[in-house]
Amino acid sequence: MEVFINLLVNGVSTGLLIFLLAAGLTLIFGLMSVLNFAHGGLFVWGAFSGAWIFKETNSFLLAIAGSIAIGMVLGWVLERFLIRPVYGNHVRQLLITLGGMLVLSESIKIFWGPNPIRVNLPAWLEGSYQFDGIIIIKYRVFVIVVGLLLYLALWLLLSRTQIGLMIRAGVLDKEMVQALGINVKGLFTFVFLLGAGLAALGGALLAPYSGVVFAEMGMQYAILAFIVVIIGGMGSLQGSALASLIVGVAGAFMAYYMPDLSLALNMLLLATVLLVKPTGLLGEKGSAV
Amino acid sequence: MRGVVHKVPLYWGLAILLFMLLFPFVNDSRSTLILLTQIFIFAIFAMSFDILLGYTGIVSFGHCMFFGIGAYSTALIFNQLDATLPNFILGLVIGILLSALVSYIIGLLSLRLKSHFYAMLTLAVSQLFLVLAEKWRGLTHGGDGFTFSVPDIFKDRTSFYYITLISVAIVFILLKLFTESSAGKVLKAISQNEYRAEALGYKSLQYKLIASVTAGVAASFSGSLYAVSLRFINTNVFSIEVTLDALLMTMIGGLGTLAGAIAGAGIIEFLRHYLSELAMIYPIFERWTIILGFLYIVVLLGFPSGLAGFIKKFTSKKGRKEKKKREVGKAA
Repeated sequence: MEVFINLLVNGVSTGLLIFLLAAGLTLIFGLMSVLNFAHGGLFVWGAFSGAWIFKETNSFLLAIAGSIAIGMVLGWVLERFLIRPVYGNHVRQLLITLGGMLVLSESIKIFWGPNPIRVNLPAWLEGSYQFDGIIIIKYRVFVIVVGLLLYLALWLLLSRTQIGLMIRAGVLDKEMVQALGINVKGLFTFVFLLGAGLAALGGALLAPYSGVVFAEMGMQYAILAFIVVIIGGMGSLQGSALASLIVGVAGAFMAYYMPDLSLALNMLLLATVLLVKPTGLLGEKGSAV
Repeated sequence: MRGVVHKVPLYWGLAILLFMLLFPFVNDSRSTLILLTQIFIFAIFAMSFDILLGYTGIVSFGHCMFFGIGAYSTALIFNQLDATLPNFILGLVIGILLSALVSYIIGLLSLRLKSHFYAMLTLAVSQLFLVLAEKWRGLTHGGDGFTFSVPDIFKDRTSFYYITLISVAIVFILLKLFTESSAGKVLKAISQNEYRAEALGYKSLQYKLIASVTAGVAASFSGSLYAVSLRFINTNVFSIEVTLDALLMTMIGGLGTLAGAIAGAGIIEFLRHYLSELAMIYPIFERWTIILGFLYIVVLLGFPSGLAGFIKKFTSKKGRKEKKKREVGKAA
């Protein structure tokens, strides 16, 4: 029982971290059908800058705020200089965002050196809770709470606000929204910055969680996020949330019982979805073909 | 007019081939021969990638996996069995069959969907191969890799130079024939307008699968040669940098032109050689990957048709001028 609960907590917290990355990815794709391969670069920048600010100032909240700010600035640069010139051309978007990813993860090595960096937990999140002999690590609970709050906030933003309405309409039919006089490009920049901030936040939260950060981490988590976005359905926030939890929890259990097969499991999930329902679990837009 | 434009590059190609055949007599410095051999191997790899991206418009972010499959098949055969020529053929064939199978399955899963899916699935599967190579330590020795011995004919730098040079020429001719065959023309049509090609009755999935398998097989061949050239292998052959190399080479050389891929391979490998020498003097150049990354972005934004597009533009302008002159002459 103890193992089961611990694995569940691990899985849910990892799943929610992946969700932070996948949320931006799926919204950016849904709105502009831009598949942003540089998203993982923003994630790893969030992780490194968060770890660095935390080490320098010893304030975890400042580290989180700083990493989000840096992620958004980088996101703005990406959107403005790489993605805007290639609007509407899918092949070139794919190619250029991969170049962005390369530059982002290589520049990490220029700023912080090529070696992995150790990251400590903030003092007030160290330790664990105990219930009837079941030990639950505090930081994981913190990640779960933050992840759920952010999901709630995103859901409220999309379903209860004016701008959320415009985003949802844009995902459904971009041309129609534009015809109604709404600045879709401005909207897209907003969504892109939001996604960049979330990705950087995900990185900053992951750094103390895994205890060590390295430049190649961006690509690893980006691949997980891609898998999640495909399984959940591209452009669907709920789908991404559901798929993140599935991938996170399944990954945690596989890593415990069959560690060598944990990546193969994701590939199996991905292949099944591509074969059976290419639009994903909750994707309705039929945009896969 | 069209015929002339086609014939000029053929003469050039023959001249370059002749020059390269005579090159070891002029300059037999070991390091130059090794560099050129490396260029030839990557030229084959870049051409295979060009079949996908340039001729068919399919984006693959995991092309390194076929390179790695070929390299590992050859290396493992030489490691487990004797270093003989038949064993080289055996490793080559195993790599090619495996690559064909993997590219066929990936293509079947994702090529009927939008281009993103193929890009993502190839990226994910190539990472799977990387993890497999790292975890299966009993066979691959993980990231440390292993050395192996190769047949004597491959050990001699000059003879291996000729083997790779002839390989480039043969692969170039085969792929050229492929792109000018009826299947190749359909691929070109699909890359320009898939719906129209489908409406004309071509099953685009089948043709894309052919392109995917062809590219996988050629990449596996280059991987086998690469393993032989190093006589050492580790998991780096499955790294994303290898895919990026192919991307850079084809983009810089010019998409959809096999000769451009060869030129791109030459440019990138020379640049890498030069920059890593500079890194010994100026440490900033240790991070030359970032320079290649910026170069890639600049080429993509500024010169989408690459070096070949630039030359074509230049020669076609010249051709037009000559035509004009002739017409003027006739009128006079």
